Amino acid sequence: MNFLWENFVIQLIAFLILFLLLQRYAFKPLFGIMEKRRQMVQEQMETAQKNRSEADQYIEEQKQALQQARKEAYDIIELAKSTGSKQADDIVVAARNEADRLKNEAVREIESEKNKAVASLKAEVSGLSVQIASKIIEKQVDEKANSEIVNKYLEDVGTKS
Amino acid sequence: MDHIAPVINLGGFRLDLSALFMIAITSVAVFVLARLAVRNLSVDNPGKLQNFLEWVVEFVQSIIGQATDYKKGKIYLSLCMALIMYIFVGNLLGLPLGIITEPAHGEHYGHFLGFDLPGAKEAGDHVAYTWWKSPTADASMTMALAIMVIVIAHFQGIRKNGKHYWKHWVTPSVVFTPIHLVELMAKPLTLGLRLFGNIYAGEVMIGVILGLGWVGIPALAVWQGFSVFVGAIQAFVFTMLTMVYISQESIHSEEH
Repeated sequence: MNFLWENFVIQLIAFLILFLLLQRYAFKPLFGIMEKRRQMVQEQMETAQKNRSEADQYIEEQKQALQQARKEAYDIIELAKSTGSKQADDIVVAARNEADRLKNEAVREIESEKNKAVASLKAEVSGLSVQIASKIIEKQVDEKANSEIVNKYLEDVGTKS
Repeated sequence: MDHIAPVINLGGFRLDLSALFMIAITSVAVFVLARLAVRNLSVDNPGKLQNFLEWVVEFVQSIIGQATDYKKGKIYLSLCMALIMYIFVGNLLGLPLGIITEPAHGEHYGHFLGFDLPGAKEAGDHVAYTWWKSPTADASMTMALAIMVIVIAHFQGIRKNGKHYWKHWVTPSVVFTPIHLVELMAKPLTLGLRLFGNIYAGEVMIGVILGLGWVGIPALAVWQGFSVFVGAIQAFVFTMLTMVYISQESIHSEEH
């Protein structure tokens, strides 16, 4: 094996040329692409991270909204319940008042009817009494004077009975 | 039979045609491979060759990362890529075939484009010219790569490390300077000759097995497989040591 310094020089120059060509036409674009991919992956990871935190936030918000809605629904139900019971009470009170009023009216009416009936009965009875009396005593009596007598008599009967 | 290199003499410049030939083929092969890989570069849909070359890049990055701090060694990525690809391709190129010519019958030396090729050392010897061999199976060529690496290492050491670089020559004292000088000589020598030795031995072995004739075919297959392995390992070792030497000289780490 002999050492040729010419080979040494040729190899050196050839390698330098190869290195420069590779550097210029192969490695630079390749490293650029690899760097770009690295950045892309990093960006995507960051985006994913961001999306996840956003999603978490949304879930939290949804939870809170749900809680809020539930609370509101409960409040509304409570309110409706209380309003309903109050209204029922009101209705009952109103109905009771109405019933009282109707009852009182009826009582009054009955009273007045009774009075009327009593009055007409009195008149009837007095007339009848007079006829009966006049028939019995066969004596024409002044109807008016007689009715006074009968009234007095009837009042006496009324107070005694 | 004596296998010799077809060297022609160009006015004192001994041009080794087979070396020139093989260096050119290896360089072109490496460059074409790299160009094919980066032909359709894509960020999100890399082709097979692009994936392969990216794998090589990552492999070299891990080599640099092992030898030194990757951030500081990043600038040598292209150099290491070129080295590992050139050496690996060069190592493998010598394996599959051999091109040998012999002088015309009755002549003692051959001709190439009118130039005389060297003849046998002793008259009557039979000569044959080897045209196809690994470029890395030639000590002068591996030494070129090795010395280039060491020169880069020291140059970068002076440029980047300044005071620390000069100080390391007299560490721990001036008495050790000769040892450092020996180291300076030994590093490129071992780097270059290790590569040369491995690949040259592989090719010599192939030649020996070929001498067996038909019987040697299984052995040849085994040995060629092993040589692929050796070629890959040597490319890796050369690149690794390149980074180690460069980092020793030029990258000042904290513990020094």
